Amino acid sequence: MTTLLVLLSLTVGVYLVAVLEAWTTNGHFRIAAPLCSALALLGRESIVPRKADRIFFEAAPILLLTSALLGAAVIPLAPALIVTDLATGALFLNAALAYVLVALLMAGWGPDGAYAMVGGWRFLGQVIAYAMLIVMPIMAVAMRAESLLTTEIVASQAGLWNILYQPLGFVLFFAAAMALAFVPPFDLPTAQGELAGGVEGEYTGVRLAVFRLGRMVLILTLAAATVTFYLGGWQGPLLPPWAWSAIKTLAVAATMLLAGRMMPRIREAHLLAWGWKLGIPLALLNIFLVGVLVLVLP
Amino acid sequence: MISAQGLFIAFFGLAAVCFGVAVFRTSSMVRSALALLFSQTAIGAMFLSMQAEFLGVLQIMMMATEMSIMAIFMVMFMMDPGGLGKMEMTHQKGLSLISGSIAFMAAVAVAVFVDWGPGGASPPDAARQTRELGIELLGRSMLIFETAGITILTAMIAATAVAIQPLKRSGDR
Repeated sequence: MTTLLVLLSLTVGVYLVAVLEAWTTNGHFRIAAPLCSALALLGRESIVPRKADRIFFEAAPILLLTSALLGAAVIPLAPALIVTDLATGALFLNAALAYVLVALLMAGWGPDGAYAMVGGWRFLGQVIAYAMLIVMPIMAVAMRAESLLTTEIVASQAGLWNILYQPLGFVLFFAAAMALAFVPPFDLPTAQGELAGGVEGEYTGVRLAVFRLGRMVLILTLAAATVTFYLGGWQGPLLPPWAWSAIKTLAVAATMLLAGRMMPRIREAHLLAWGWKLGIPLALLNIFLVGVLVLVLP
Repeated sequence: MISAQGLFIAFFGLAAVCFGVAVFRTSSMVRSALALLFSQTAIGAMFLSMQAEFLGVLQIMMMATEMSIMAIFMVMFMMDPGGLGKMEMTHQKGLSLISGSIAFMAAVAVAVFVDWGPGGASPPDAARQTRELGIELLGRSMLIFETAGITILTAMIAATAVAIQPLKRSGDR
């Protein structure tokens, strides 16, 4: 029952994120837009390129969707509204989302196309840049909660949300989450206008529909994870818990999609340099500061 | 009567072996690397079936990035990374067959003939396991892990230093 409820809210959430994405991309806020484009995609022929690595080509969109869904399984939407409250929840989220990389590599290698391949390997470099900036801020969050349970992490923010307790960690995690979801300006693997779609460039029809769906679920999962780790999860006055989760998650998703729209696409080398020379020292500083706070504050 | 746990362990074990075989049955370097990845993922799932939650999740997480990075190195170094040129990439088949069989039999012999003692009582719950693992890593085993970490870091720095092209001095052509 809980799983069904979570899946239902994910479906609604994904639809709204797709509306938001269309709005941030072309400026038209149309509720029916994702439905129309989904129907159009489903109606189109799904072409398999010549000499494609069929296993990878077929598996990549499904793996992307699966890993994003598995990540969503450990995010609490309300006190009891969680698919599985794993004792290693915060780590499991990383484990599930690590397979986004594998999916994109498969999507890059599978079609035997130059642009797709460049996109796939680019994302590998992108992972090297952001991976530590996902894990290390989560570590600081777990330090405060003294638990990897996502429900405990939300409960630990009852007095003060983590966005105020560890703002540095929030900024790092938010940027890294944007890089993981490859939204602009971190859209190196897809790079419209430069790689002609990159990893999703060779996909058409129903396969592209699944790929895009996976991407939307990924954005939603990361927004929900940001809410769980930094914005107090379901906590809030007046409204019921699930409503607060929904509002916060959609607000974070909208911010993610809007934030990079006005910026030029970052270069791979710059992303790596910033990630390692600036991001990791700051993440270590964040862990140190949170450690001091945890020891000093009651 | 086989328990559900036994069934899951057997399933993931079989999956790990099948993916392991696939590593050597393909000529495509990326397929090979990702088959190894999914073999390791299946081992992670075996840990999960054995109620070692933290280890399982860690294994599943670490392998995704590691094997993907290995894939790009295999593509860079091999002459026929796509396996489309039908290049023969195996060698010393007889020797590897013999040594592989001996190693397999040795492993089976160890599994069968060693007296493992009585099995543990019901394992502690996952949250407690994570906590105990943390205390072990930062207590008794800290020196071992720190030494290993420093060794790997040294190797990484050394490898990078070797890989970087030396700067040309001003007089050189």
